[in-house]
Amino acid sequence: MERTELEKKLIEIVRKEKDIPDEKLTPETLLADAGIDSLDALTILFAIEEDLNIHIPDDRARAMKTFGDMADAVADQLK
Amino acid sequence: MSPHLAQTRVAITGIGILSPLGRGEEATLDAIRHARSGIRAIESIDASELTCRIGGEVPREAHQGLQRGQDRFSRFALIAAEDAAAGARFGTIGIEGERVGVLIGTGLGGCETLDAGYKRIYRDGATRVGPLTIPMSMYNAASSAVSNRFGAKGVAYSVVSACSSGAHAIGLAAQAIRSGQADAMFAGGADAPLTFGIIRAWESMRVLAVDNDHPDLACRPFSVDRKGIVLAEGAAVFVLESFENARRRGQPILGEIIGFGATSDAGHVTDPSADGASRAMRMALRDAGIAEGEVGYINAHGTATHANDSTETRAIKEVFGPDAHRIPVSSTKSMHGHAMGASGAIEIALSLLSLNAGLIPPTINLVTPDPECDLDYVPNAARSGSAKVFLSNSFGFGGMNAVVAVRTRAGGE
Repeated sequence: MERTELEKKLIEIVRKEKDIPDEKLTPETLLADAGIDSLDALTILFAIEEDLNIHIPDDRARAMKTFGDMADAVADQLK
Repeated sequence: MSPHLAQTRVAITGIGILSPLGRGEEATLDAIRHARSGIRAIESIDASELTCRIGGEVPREAHQGLQRGQDRFSRFALIAAEDAAAGARFGTIGIEGERVGVLIGTGLGGCETLDAGYKRIYRDGATRVGPLTIPMSMYNAASSAVSNRFGAKGVAYSVVSACSSGAHAIGLAAQAIRSGQADAMFAGGADAPLTFGIIRAWESMRVLAVDNDHPDLACRPFSVDRKGIVLAEGAAVFVLESFENARRRGQPILGEIIGFGATSDAGHVTDPSADGASRAMRMALRDAGIAEGEVGYINAHGTATHANDSTETRAIKEVFGPDAHRIPVSSTKSMHGHAMGASGAIEIALSLLSLNAGLIPPTINLVTPDPECDLDYVPNAARSGSAKVFLSNSFGFGGMNAVVAVRTRAGGE
């Protein structure tokens, strides 16, 4: 999957769980700044894993601070 | 325990009720007035493979628009708490959050969430379950949800005692206010056990009323042709606060929690004892500082099993003597089924609403009384009347009994 295609897909999944405005959906945005708390993050990652049939390791999940980190972790699993 | 005459009195200023009879006072009283059953074919799950396909399900329209991220039992508790808070004008209660507590009892907790998780793992072969399975299924999830919603930062936990959970929670919440631990409490019970796995487990106990063709006739407490328990779901939550606070802010007082009795049979896990039940009733009367003669109504545990109905009848006679025949005793489970840990809370709410409206709730489907059950069970139709004080009995599996004594509006202040 191309990176832009992946990011589009992730935005789609994130939006299903949480209503986040466009300007907050950048790779640099901290999840916390987008109003995503720890349980929201778990739910979003679960939806991503289910949708793409991947498994993101716990240490990568715990280290995630931004949407960019999220996209990187997913991209690594799709390699 | 001794009578606590000088201590803080506990006023009920808000009542939220969500049961198979509907949501809120109007729907509940309408069902009572017309002696209407809320037992129906189960629709919230695919029940086609089950032997027992009926239950006391909360009507879908009564719980629409619920928030995600909560198990069904917590969603029910939130709705009931929301309605209780609105009725109590909680926004004007004038008590800081640190002095407001929450105590929601539940018998079985987040059944919906656990059932879905187990189905994924064991039936569908999935390797992971929803990430919120733990926080949604834990027994204190409903208390937590209510605490978060209303900023209640005081004493908060949950109580688990099977079918007595809601009554224990309300009794303990009243004690928290009496003792000065809190100035206001959200207290009640919530359960949503109509899941595939839980119904299967109850089927195995051979105590369910399996009458799939006539759900409204299935639950027949005190009747010789009784068929057993009808499982149900729902929640009821009260806003309790000190009398002083309610008076200060001019909030109407709907009733008063005056006594709480709690005992254990210390006998058999599922066969109830008249001794445990009668001691709980006596303890509630003593705690309330009232005489037997002051009780004008008893809402029975009344599960429609032979073991309960005859034992409970015997226990009432032990406590009240010949006077037992004077007191109207009804099992409203005949209409709403057995909502497990929510039942005590639902029954206290329903009884108080009914008595405040001048109605004594009936036991429906009581055509031929069991000869062992010879009290006035208010058969088949609600009766005009009231009571100044009533008892609500809850006797849980495990032999755990809770009785709450309540003064109605007719009982004055």
